[in-house]
Amino acid sequence: MGEFKVHRVRFFNYVPSGIRCVAYNNQSNRLAVSRTDGTVEIYNLSANYFQEKFFPGHESRATEALCWAKGQRLFSAGLNGEIIEYDLQALDIKYSMDAFGGPIWSMAASPSGSQLLVGCEDGSVKLFQINPDKIQFERNFDRQKSRILSLSWHPSGTHIAAGSIDYISVFDIKSGSAVHKMLVDRQYMGVSKRKCIIWGVAFLSDGTVISVDSAGKVQFWDSATGTLVKTHLVANADVQSIAVSDQEDSFVVGTAEGTVFHFQLVSVTSNSSEKQWVRTKPFQHHTHDVRTVAHSPTALISGGTDTHLVIRPLMEKVEVKNYDAALRKITFPHRRLISCSKKRQLLLFQFSHHLDLWRLGSTVATGGKTSGKFLVPGKHGDTLPLSKDADHLLQLKTKGPENIICSCVSPCGSWIAYSTASRFFLRRLNYEHDNLSLHRVSKMPACLRSAVQIMFSEDSTKLFVASNQGSLHILRLLEGSFKHLHTFQAQSGTVESMCLLAVSPDGNWLAASGTSAGVHVYSVKRLKIFEYSIPDKQYTEWSRAIQKQGFHHHWLQRDTPITHIGFHPKRPAHILLHDAYMFCIIDKSLPLPNDKTLLYNPLPPTNESDVIRRRTAHAFKISKKYKPLLFMDLLDEGTLVAVERPLDDIIAQLPPPIKKKKFGT
Amino acid sequence: MVQLRPRASRAPASASAMVDEGQPASEEAEHGLLLGQPSSGAAAEPLEEDGDGDDDLDDEAPEELTFASAQAEARAEERRVRETARRDKTLLKEKRKRREELFIEQKKRKLLPDTVLQKLTTASQTNIKKSPGKLKEDKSQKKNEECEKGNESKKVKEKIQSIGQNKSYLARRLKDQDLRDSRQQAAKAFIQNSLYGPGTNRTTGTQKKQNAKRFKRRWMVRKMKTSKK
Repeated sequence: MGEFKVHRVRFFNYVPSGIRCVAYNNQSNRLAVSRTDGTVEIYNLSANYFQEKFFPGHESRATEALCWAKGQRLFSAGLNGEIIEYDLQALDIKYSMDAFGGPIWSMAASPSGSQLLVGCEDGSVKLFQINPDKIQFERNFDRQKSRILSLSWHPSGTHIAAGSIDYISVFDIKSGSAVHKMLVDRQYMGVSKRKCIIWGVAFLSDGTVISVDSAGKVQFWDSATGTLVKTHLVANADVQSIAVSDQEDSFVVGTAEGTVFHFQLVSVTSNSSEKQWVRTKPFQHHTHDVRTVAHSPTALISGGTDTHLVIRPLMEKVEVKNYDAALRKITFPHRRLISCSKKRQLLLFQFSHHLDLWRLGSTVATGGKTSGKFLVPGKHGDTLPLSKDADHLLQLKTKGPENIICSCVSPCGSWIAYSTASRFFLRRLNYEHDNLSLHRVSKMPACLRSAVQIMFSEDSTKLFVASNQGSLHILRLLEGSFKHLHTFQAQSGTVESMCLLAVSPDGNWLAASGTSAGVHVYSVKRLKIFEYSIPDKQYTEWSRAIQKQGFHHHWLQRDTPITHIGFHPKRPAHILLHDAYMFCIIDKSLPLPNDKTLLYNPLPPTNESDVIRRRTAHAFKISKKYKPLLFMDLLDEGTLVAVERPLDDIIAQLPPPIKKKKFGT
Repeated sequence: MVQLRPRASRAPASASAMVDEGQPASEEAEHGLLLGQPSSGAAAEPLEEDGDGDDDLDDEAPEELTFASAQAEARAEERRVRETARRDKTLLKEKRKRREELFIEQKKRKLLPDTVLQKLTTASQTNIKKSPGKLKEDKSQKKNEECEKGNESKKVKEKIQSIGQNKSYLARRLKDQDLRDSRQQAAKAFIQNSLYGPGTNRTTGTQKKQNAKRFKRRWMVRKMKTSKK
């Protein structure tokens, strides 16, 4: 396999934005997640929790509520007072409609999916009709005194519960007037001066309203009489979210301390028909506020300020108890944020509003000393000091409120291309005796509006852009300008998905997932690798062998998708791929592992004889040394670059959590 | 108003006849010399008693005043009064008039020129729907600036629907945008306050370390004390 020098990079200061809302869609088993910077991501929970689509963020779009409506339509509302519908096919915003009620705090779709209710800052609850092309304002309900922070429909669609500050109102849909007004205690058994904010309400079909508030209480109300039935004090801090399952026999609440509680309806005694709500399980998977929860038929989903998306399958609901039933924590995005220029040893980091270009450091020593940046396994594990530190060459800031969707630097290091939701930018870099100058390439063609993926060819003469309309553009890059070569149109309405894979070294072929324009098709999200060789136009022998034997069971159990694949130019038999926790080099010339051998095979001890070593060697060479891994690529013959992002560095930059009393502090 | 006259002459009866002045006058007459001029309001009637008692210069017989002369005097008096009143009124009127004119002029300066106003009225009659949410604030400001240059006035805050057929821009009341921004700020402040404001039990990493240090110090001190005992 060979030995490599590894550039271990930890100066990529990437902090994901916190999760604000999640919405689960039962029919398609998809999860929509919106973050505090306005990004909305769609995860396909049946395809190994892969993030299949995302809508880039925008500075003015601070979403406060997200919901699915009939026909797989996604709506969001935020503090700018507008209701936005997302176009899931074109990965664009269909339209945004001002609700004229001030900032919108909550939104709920009716059980039938044809009406939308929003709760506004001025205390009004507005009803919208969902038409096939747009939504239309229907009427206002009785205006309340303070802002409406949470809404919930009764499953029959006749009543709604609205949580505000210090009280909950129950409205009748037909008349639009408030039927009951239930006042909430500011603190359970105590005196408190702070207002009690009702963060979440849920309306059950038997008329019970469940409310969670900032005093840490979960309360059950009877909506027919407007009285309090039961109170549970679950936390010393706010309880910020609630989600009820479809069968209404369990619900989940999330608190500001990071704990998620599961409540279930259990019978009072073993053979009685009377049931009551009991708090069954606490989960502590978050360090900061859990601002949103969702309840799918088999799992509890929670997300919050600590930017992790945690999916906890419930053991009693899961049918097959395999590795699928374990906890999933999705922290890092499934798309690529880093690109690398091999010739000049440059790395381009993509942030939400700017790009950073760094040159990697270098070393001349071969001794052994630890340093923070440069690690050299000269004797397998030695570190070498840097003779030249990594250099911050350039910072490109975007103007305007939109986030950057994708970016790429060419392998020769002379071109940088990046795209926001409305514009595409191409820049040329000139290197002159250690000076760097940047030139803007103007007059981009009109067809290049916004790109979903960008890729340069190996020899840096061509630029491949996948736009969000489903077409693929090829541009030829010349000295200071470009020439539009060709456009592959959308194939029968499909849209490019996220992974545009590498271009083959001779530059003639392009691998793209989702279209048939490319020839190598790697459908990695399904944990299968197909290799489609160009000359033969059929699956190669190797991949057929894999299919027959099946993958090693550990390989199939990897829970994070492969983020990047690279090829060794000199050794076509090697494929280098990595995901968030490991990187792996597949050597096609070695035999495939069977289920019995250990997949994770570190360097075997040297005292073993050669024969055994050869026997245990197999095609998959995996190393878990660098984690969490954001990017890994082959720089040249013997050098790898690995960009890590330690979780502690992220946590240090998040907003403060609730103080927790720990023993000894 | 009655003018003061020496006692000798007879003061004519003024318009405002004082009925009860008769009595003090008679009293005066009785007292003789001691009494000087009659009081101002006194409608001193010719007092025969006076003439009888005194032979001084002051006690000459009152002058003979005909009614006509007195009347003429009274009328002149009234006229004078009336004229002063009229003059005052006219002065005031003029002042008010001048002020009004000044105001009208200032108002004229504030409004748009006639041509633009006409266009606006015709445009408001035509049925053009305002497209929601798709406007740029800098465009509306630009429109205002253009109007400003036209007639050196302050910023115009008129609600303008799209003028004519070209919908290349749309202007909006800047007051509305300010209101929106302020509401959004208020909402953000509310949530920041309720989650991270005073009264919430939040801590940062550095605070935790400081607390830990303090606790350790105190614990060491306590331990020393107990070990000494």
